[in-house]
Amino acid sequence: MRKKLLIATIGLLGSATLAAPAPDRWWSPGEGRVFPASLDYANAHGSLRLLLDGGAMKTKGHAFFEPLGKNGRACVTCHQPADAMSLSAATAAERWEKTGGKDPLFAAIDGSNCPALPQEKRESHSLLIERGLFRIQLPWPVRQWNGRPVTPDFTIEVLRDPNGCNSGAMHGPAAGNISVYRRARPVANMKYLLAVGFPFDPKQGVALPRDPDDGTMMSGNIMADNRAGNLRMQMEDAAHGHLEYARKLTTAQIAQIKDFEMRVFTAQQVSAKAGALDTLGAQGGPRKLQASQPGALGSIGIPVWSEFAAWEKINPEDAKTLSPEQLAFRQSVARGARVFREKMFLITDSAGINSRVGFGNPVRNSCVFCHNMSQMGNDVAPGQVDLGTTTMPFADPWRDLPLFRITCLKAPHPHYGRVILTMDPGYAMTTGRCADVGKITLQSMRGLAARAPYFSNGLAKDLRGIVDYYDRRYNIGYTEQEKQDLTNMMSAL
Amino acid sequence: MLRKLLATAALLAPVSAAAAQTGDLVQFIACPVYRDADSGKKSGCWLVDDPATGLRYDVSLSPHKPDWNFAVMVEGRVSGASPEACGGAVLDAVRTSRLYDTPCTRHMLPAEGYKGRRFVLPKRNISPTSMVQPAPEGPFAERVFPIYFEWGNDFLIYQYGDYLLEQAYHWIAAAHPAKLVVTGYAATQPQPVSGRNMAEPAELAEQRAQTIAQSLRRLLPGMPVEARVDTSGNPTNDRDADNLPAQSARRVEIRALF
Ligand code: HEC
Ligand code: HEC
Repeated sequence: MRKKLLIATIGLLGSATLAAPAPDRWWSPGEGRVFPASLDYANAHGSLRLLLDGGAMKTKGHAFFEPLGKNGRACVTCHQPADAMSLSAATAAERWEKTGGKDPLFAAIDGSNCPALPQEKRESHSLLIERGLFRIQLPWPVRQWNGRPVTPDFTIEVLRDPNGCNSGAMHGPAAGNISVYRRARPVANMKYLLAVGFPFDPKQGVALPRDPDDGTMMSGNIMADNRAGNLRMQMEDAAHGHLEYARKLTTAQIAQIKDFEMRVFTAQQVSAKAGALDTLGAQGGPRKLQASQPGALGSIGIPVWSEFAAWEKINPEDAKTLSPEQLAFRQSVARGARVFREKMFLITDSAGINSRVGFGNPVRNSCVFCHNMSQMGNDVAPGQVDLGTTTMPFADPWRDLPLFRITCLKAPHPHYGRVILTMDPGYAMTTGRCADVGKITLQSMRGLAARAPYFSNGLAKDLRGIVDYYDRRYNIGYTEQEKQDLTNMMSAL
Repeated sequence: MLRKLLATAALLAPVSAAAAQTGDLVQFIACPVYRDADSGKKSGCWLVDDPATGLRYDVSLSPHKPDWNFAVMVEGRVSGASPEACGGAVLDAVRTSRLYDTPCTRHMLPAEGYKGRRFVLPKRNISPTSMVQPAPEGPFAERVFPIYFEWGNDFLIYQYGDYLLEQAYHWIAAAHPAKLVVTGYAATQPQPVSGRNMAEPAELAEQRAQTIAQSLRRLLPGMPVEARVDTSGNPTNDRDADNLPAQSARRVEIRALF
């Protein structure tokens, strides 16, 4: 299957340059490969390219790639180049098959549904293998991004604990923590996620907090719940939590990890159905992403996904260089970009948009209202919005995820009322406010083809699943053509 | 079309002594209705009927728009604009404070031929940090910058409060005052509105002062910021309150001292 994909991709490359054939897709901790300046990996929709700003880099002895802690994992274990620096569920399943579950990826701490379960059994790791989810244990009561405790204005009770990690002597609110399950977020194109477009957080109605390390304003755009304000705090959390590294990262290790995170860019480079994504005037692929200024609002500058504008009108001469299928797919991608920006619908009951900020409930807008940053599709403002992906009644009622009952102690939630049922309270676990329950930080939209499933809890199993979720959530009424165009466009990011 | 004509005619007919005159100040509490007009993003209409007169007002120009599940307190000036955009007498300037303690039956009217308003960037909008601002020029002396709020909360209003705060920030950053005194106010004097006695709690004055003080400390690290409270509830006639006395009472004043 993989081999076939690779061959098919190479066949379509045409004039596009192909980096040296990629070695094994899986990067094991400490294997000491050189990370080349350009690296391509095939996926179900074509191939992904990674660019390393400043050229090739040795990974031997590099803190992102070495197993630092006792469980044998490195950062790269869960942030794999072939998966756009995230980790797809398919890759996790493949690792399970290949290693009989021995890969450090499946470490009991968070690579299983709960450490107390029999670790040799596949079903004890079902959330990772089937939906790419890691267990995230969060302190209760809540701590802010700077580690300060806050008194939450809500209580939390556990209604369903299918994995045993929200009850008992060690786990659950009574034991001082709750466990939620989340996808690994892509560690690439980081300058966009850290960019500050405006000095205020319009959703919270305050100026942005300052980075305690360098005094600059923080974007508020990393982690599903923004519990880490900057990369240093994030990696300390990761080293401790995911790697079980008992010591503190040194200044040199921190600098090394940050250096790599800021240099790596990734996007889909070749579409299996359209050919190279940076040809005939299009500007797909990571090169443009690497070269552009981050943090720009698409609505007042370069429209989001205008990378594919040139494919709206492919002249007959150029069209002759394409197969009919390639031409049709390119036109569909270009239409998809327009659907993303221009197809309006009523956004309702989504905290972060419909409250507290005053756009109105409902407000008419399109996908680009929230996904508004040029080249990236994340939010220029801190992107904590409640799309309903983790919270009832909008989410799919996954029986294998915990269910919490949140009771607001002061004002009721503007859209859910006093009592909220959620599988992941999201941003509320950082702010301590019931008004923030269910808010999840918008991710990067690049390299989607390489990292299914989607949304913080893997609710959408493929790209079409994303469109179907929105269509249901906001009653959009997309035509079948529009759905396909959006799906095709997202496969090219 | 016919319906639109009738609605327009009804609005124009001098049905009662209560008919709105241009410049009139109206204030009432009622449930908002969303009209699904479509002229692109953010173009839908917000309509509210005054329970005292039955007159239908178009409140879409409010900087902080309604939530169709809750009542709003409307405060606005009747403008001379034609009701053709949404099908209601246009209030401009207008405020719609959401009253989360008063649920409403959620209702949406179809467009019925109304086009709504194509979105234009309001004149009070903040600029991206990447855009270099012309530095305000001196000489600098003691100055007061007000920031305004919706009824009952301390939320910095997008494309209104944030703009006023940004203006203050740019001036202060250039002027280097010795310190800032941030005074929070609340509309504590009870006002009868649609049969309710509306008064903000005195604590809100403190909360507003703290919220703005926190933003100022983030914007201007190292600048001494002192928070104070004034619960008298007195209105002002500052121009950024848009000639709406009730709006002017819900404010914070940032005083730059040298
Ligand atoms: C066991 C798997 C795993 C390991 C190992 C791991 N991460 Fe992650 N990483 C995750 C998950 C899951 C998230 C999302 C967490 C959340 O949103 O709450 C994440 C998120 C991130 C993010 C935020 C990206 C964004 O866009 O929000 C960064 C940066 C990151 N990881 C860096 C690292 C670094 C550096 C290391 C090594 C010190 C590391 N990770 C090790 C699973 C892992
Ligand atoms: C109201 C704001 C909002 C609108 C409108 C919106 N999104 Fe999102 N989007 C979000 C949020 C919040 C997330 C993160 C949710 C999560 O991960 O659970 C997200 C995540 C995504 C992701 C990332 C998936 C991943 O796992 O990396 C994609 C792709 C996406 N949205 C596509 C779309 C498309 C297509 C539309 C238009 C149909 C759209 N969005 C409209 C807020 C929005």
